[in-house]
Amino acid sequence: MADSWLGWTLIAGTAALVYLTRAVFVLPGSRLRLPPLAERVLRYAPAAALAAIIAPDLALVHGALAVSPDNPRLVGGIVAFAVAAATRSVTLTIIVGMLAMTAVRLIAA
Amino acid sequence: MHGDRMSAFRDGAASAVSLLFGMVPWGLVAGLAMVSAGLTPAQAVVMGLLVYAGSAQLAVLPLLIAKAPLWVMYATALAVNLRYVIYSAVLAPYFERLSRPWRVLLSYVMVDAMFALFVGRFRPEDRAPHRHWFFLGGSVVLWIGWQAASWLGIFGGALIPRAWSLEFAATLSLIALLMPLLYDRAVVLGALAAGGVALAGAGLPFNLGLICAIAAGIAAGLAASRVQRARARGA
Repeated sequence: MADSWLGWTLIAGTAALVYLTRAVFVLPGSRLRLPPLAERVLRYAPAAALAAIIAPDLALVHGALAVSPDNPRLVGGIVAFAVAAATRSVTLTIIVGMLAMTAVRLIAA
Repeated sequence: MHGDRMSAFRDGAASAVSLLFGMVPWGLVAGLAMVSAGLTPAQAVVMGLLVYAGSAQLAVLPLLIAKAPLWVMYATALAVNLRYVIYSAVLAPYFERLSRPWRVLLSYVMVDAMFALFVGRFRPEDRAPHRHWFFLGGSVVLWIGWQAASWLGIFGGALIPRAWSLEFAATLSLIALLMPLLYDRAVVLGALAAGGVALAGAGLPFNLGLICAIAAGIAAGLAASRVQRARARGA
């Protein structure tokens, strides 16, 4: 991967796309209005994308479904969901989720 | 005149300091995750400077590790960051009178925390001629804090043993970001559908499972909101 074209292409493309999302209405400087359907699609896309990234990282081990209490990531993730719901704190969610994941890893090992 | 700008800038900067508690761990994790995913430190620094969006950076990295094709990574970054399109639409009336360089700059520094702070403080119709200096002041604090934290993760992350699986912190931070988005039942259903399809489709080539999952999540959310509204109308 080191210094490969893939890394740089990923960075340049992601930067351009992210900038586009931020500038799309601010840069024209006029009162553009989103059509209602677009507004509704935009409402569901971020949560769907995040959930689609999170779920496999928690529940799959080497590509196979691993829903059991000795899967460290699944337990850490569920604990993190609970902490995030209760505290809304990014810092606490990360710290407590990491501790839970590590505890299960050490016990299961 | 000049004093008003400076005081608006300082006011914004001071208001943003408490937001650093959320930004700094986020930047640290992003820095760490970039090098864990195989980017060189130079690439990681440039990515932090150019992209400056922890969620988009963290979302593409697991895909980079999984050797997903570029277009899947781009589509994912775009989907995760579509919330900025909404911020952009909300902020446009505030900034429409500013010069183009200002609009270019303020678009670049736009992040979740600053958006929430600014919109909570000002209304578009307010007569607050220096509010863009407030936005800039707060953004400068958040930008410096986030970049510094990211570099700490990039250059200090190697000191941390692999067995600790610190890259899992990136997924945990996405969980923390997902939670405040789950504000109504339709969004929750969309997220559940997306998660389920992502698990079922994990074996598909080219990470197509992820794209199917996002599409399924949006469709489920739209369908659920339609049912909700039909029910509200019927009641």
